[in-house]
Amino acid sequence: MSPEEREALIEQVVGAHRERAADGSVLAYPAWHDLDESARREAFERALVARRLEAALDPERRSATVRAVLARIAS
Amino acid sequence: MEDLDRHLSAIAAGDADAFGRFVAGGERRLRESLRSFAALVDVEAVLQESLLRIWQVAPRVRPDGRPDCLLRLAIRTARNLAIDEARRTRRMALDPELLERALADAERASAAPAEPPDPRFFSAIEGCHGALPDKPKQALGARLESGGAESDAALAARLGMRLNTFLQNVTRAKRLLLDCLGRRGFAMEISR
Repeated sequence: MSPEEREALIEQVVGAHRERAADGSVLAYPAWHDLDESARREAFERALVARRLEAALDPERRSATVRAVLARIAS
Repeated sequence: MEDLDRHLSAIAAGDADAFGRFVAGGERRLRESLRSFAALVDVEAVLQESLLRIWQVAPRVRPDGRPDCLLRLAIRTARNLAIDEARRTRRMALDPELLERALADAERASAAPAEPPDPRFFSAIEGCHGALPDKPKQALGARLESGGAESDAALAARLGMRLNTFLQNVTRAKRLLLDCLGRRGFAMEISR
């Protein structure tokens, strides 16, 4: 995997979009399975920062995770 | 120190906005409680699933006299889900040391106070966001507007960008924001 491919996979995993299974449970992001352990830990740390930035830029101080969960509740 | 249980009665009554305020106040501690599992499970998926389950059980939760009982329940729920998921995907027993680290992470997160951010941080990040170049700002804006509802592929297509270009622009936007916040003296606010 090239550094560019690794970076693209990490950035996708850092995002809050997750599909749901037929039973309604939240599924792991497919790209997560393609990452090695070091990249998975990097994605975790970068998600902490990303959620903080998202919340700070949102008028209601909601990160993408908060908004994704609320959207699931409303659906 | 804010006790997130102040939202509990409204959440139990079905107030989704109150649940949003609860999650916004506890998300970081909940996520940090799962650090030991970062290499074993997709923490974002476990975290979202845990929160959906907490929404379901909230009407039956009774305060135990200590602060943040709903958040502590969310942390326990997330840890158990992470253990189940890690066992399922690895098809083997988990390292006892990992389970000990996970318990320590959870206890640390449960005990950590929720500190309100410096209000000047928000005006600083607005200024930094306004100064972003067009393409990174567009890509990050699409992610922010979507709120996790759409895939990056769909967002990239809407902006007329290739997926890799979109992802590079999102990454660049965040790096520029962090650099700008650092120059303005708010680097530490990001890690709180």
